[in-house]
Amino acid sequence: MSRGFSHVEDLKGVPRGPRSDAVLSRVLSACGDSILNVSRRGTTIRVALKAECFRKAVESIYSEHDLYFRTMAASDERLKDGVYKLYYVLGIDGEGTNVVLEVPAPEGVEISTVSDLFRASDWYELEAKDLFGINFSGRSLRRLVLPEDWPENLYPLRKDISADEIKSLYQPQMISQIAELGVEEVVRVPIGPYHPALHEPEYFELYVRGEKVVDARYVGFMVHRGIEKLAESMKYDQVPFLAERICGICGFVHSTSYVQAVEEALGIEVPERAQFVRSIVLEVERLHSHLLWIGVALHLLGYDTGFMHAWRIREKIMVLAELLTGSRKTYGINLVGGVKKDVNQDKVPKVREVLEQLKKEFSEFVGIAISVPQVMARLRGTGLLPRGEARAYALVGPTVRGSGLARDVRKDYTYAAYHYVSFKVPVYSEGDNLARTLVRVDEVFESISIIEQLLDMLPGGSVMAEGWETQPMKLGIGAVEAPRGEVIHVVVTGDYSPYRWRVRAPTYQNLQAVPTMLRGVDLADAPLTIASIDPCFSCTDRALIINLRSGSVKAVPIEVISRRGVRSG
Amino acid sequence: MDLDNAFNGSLEEVFSKLKRSVWVFHLNTGSCNGCDIEVLDVLTPYFDVERFGIKLVGSPRHADLMLLTGPVTLKTLSKVLKAIKAMPRPRLVLVLGSCGVGGGIWFNTYSTLGGYSGLEEVLKEAGVEVDKVVYVPGCPVRPEAIIYGVAVLLGLLQPKVRHRRVMAVEG
Repeated sequence: MSRGFSHVEDLKGVPRGPRSDAVLSRVLSACGDSILNVSRRGTTIRVALKAECFRKAVESIYSEHDLYFRTMAASDERLKDGVYKLYYVLGIDGEGTNVVLEVPAPEGVEISTVSDLFRASDWYELEAKDLFGINFSGRSLRRLVLPEDWPENLYPLRKDISADEIKSLYQPQMISQIAELGVEEVVRVPIGPYHPALHEPEYFELYVRGEKVVDARYVGFMVHRGIEKLAESMKYDQVPFLAERICGICGFVHSTSYVQAVEEALGIEVPERAQFVRSIVLEVERLHSHLLWIGVALHLLGYDTGFMHAWRIREKIMVLAELLTGSRKTYGINLVGGVKKDVNQDKVPKVREVLEQLKKEFSEFVGIAISVPQVMARLRGTGLLPRGEARAYALVGPTVRGSGLARDVRKDYTYAAYHYVSFKVPVYSEGDNLARTLVRVDEVFESISIIEQLLDMLPGGSVMAEGWETQPMKLGIGAVEAPRGEVIHVVVTGDYSPYRWRVRAPTYQNLQAVPTMLRGVDLADAPLTIASIDPCFSCTDRALIINLRSGSVKAVPIEVISRRGVRSG
Repeated sequence: MDLDNAFNGSLEEVFSKLKRSVWVFHLNTGSCNGCDIEVLDVLTPYFDVERFGIKLVGSPRHADLMLLTGPVTLKTLSKVLKAIKAMPRPRLVLVLGSCGVGGGIWFNTYSTLGGYSGLEEVLKEAGVEVDKVVYVPGCPVRPEAIIYGVAVLLGLLQPKVRHRRVMAVEG
């Protein structure tokens, strides 16, 4: 860098790409003296800059076509540096590099919002406000994560308050809880935000005119369990087990992301065999998750035969998981530095046999299920998500790949053993529910092929790195392509446990685009459209229908809407 | 109808009739979905509990038995309470998974009640009676264990272990 920034570390000799250089130099020239520090490690460039220049820096780069807002982590570093810090992680697709903008936020200082530039950053800012009390100027702030009756000025992720103190300060009022969401005026029969066909308690409000949806609002975070606070009291090797319990469907991606973030931060070399085992298990998880999704999607269309068959075939994958890891779900084999349990070679032939059966049964099933005319008619052309919107919201996973963007962490920011295998990233450009379905169908075949290739090449050796040391205040980013899209964890290391651990699941990113997808669809297609992002199968639960014409409000289980629509308010 | 006082028979009498069929309502109180997909697994062709007359219903009003998963987050508490209250007596509850049984890995976080033990206190406070509870631990519960749990609840099989509450002591 010959721009005369004396405080910029010498960047010579580190691998760089032309795109990240271009982005970096734009930020440097936009901010000049407001740059506090620039450093580079591996594929991450970290730019610390003053809060007053932050918006200017983002303005200079946000329109770069391949720049993508991956996540933002707020962290309370008052004990170390006297300030809160915001880490904005911007990825450069194709080059596999990250630019991290590190913004110190002193107590009481407002940070300019960038939610108008990076639309995806909306929730991240609201969450930083809820959990840390960081204020953002230039936008309206509302409560997102915490319950409505949460006390003012009680910020659970601040370091100066313990979980026990929080518990003593917040006693949920049962009455006000019941009044939450106005459920009392709306429903006489308490079907609750619950629904028989699994699904977590999540909640959408759909605004309809006649049979057409005109707008939608999401009311969520029912399952906020305080996980990030919990991790701060756990040791490094205990957290993978906690991470795995973030989600019972794709838990392994979370534990893998976490260990990758710690490994990156501390520079731990993971043995090759462990990388292979991780990749194999990740693909097994993708298989069961996609089968699950296809089943439930067909169920939402009222095609229960398809649902039952999808789940019958899925049971084979549960057997596969048990052969490889010893558990059907929640495998518990990830540790920082490798995996706890090796693949048992005696079971590999059986695994191959199951994979063969799976391939045969799945292709037979999908050929029939997708070509049922009614299924086709409901999938094609519904829930449209144009490519431009998909890019603007920084969407991930099959959702974005159904809108013509080939974003896949396995290729773009490769990890584990994916660079050893050849596989395609299925992309469809139509942007409708059919496109998103077909992406998942194709991915099932790709995953089977990936597992077979990995088993063929499985190298020998240990599955655990030998000893590692912790170092405080290192930043690590770990990303994994989950069945639903990119999971990204940001870890700031501490002495004995992670100082700050920020989890971002794909649904967090994808849900923000659901209102766009819902606008203009028939009410009957709304459930599948919501489900088409595969919201951890949590969010499809139940909707509150507000009829703009008659002004009446009515709560209906979402499944009922999908079957018959709603005649009138 | 006053649901809370409508039941005054004996549980044995009820179970002798329930042996033919049990209708269940599945309630997720903030679980990670792990137990919930195993519940679905139990209902789909491989395990197929409908052959035993166990059927999932859409409303707690129709249910004999509630399947409870998750550590009971504060945000779901009010809805959980209402759903249990809506069940007709006798109210039977099958608590599934480590989280439901004792809060699991979440037992000490600021935003959960720590599973059924915490919920039990709230139910008592609210005057909602539950007639029988059976716990099925596991993370997630295995499908076989869920089926076993239902059989234990109905008195068809003996429980593997008895439940005993241990209170943590400060310091």
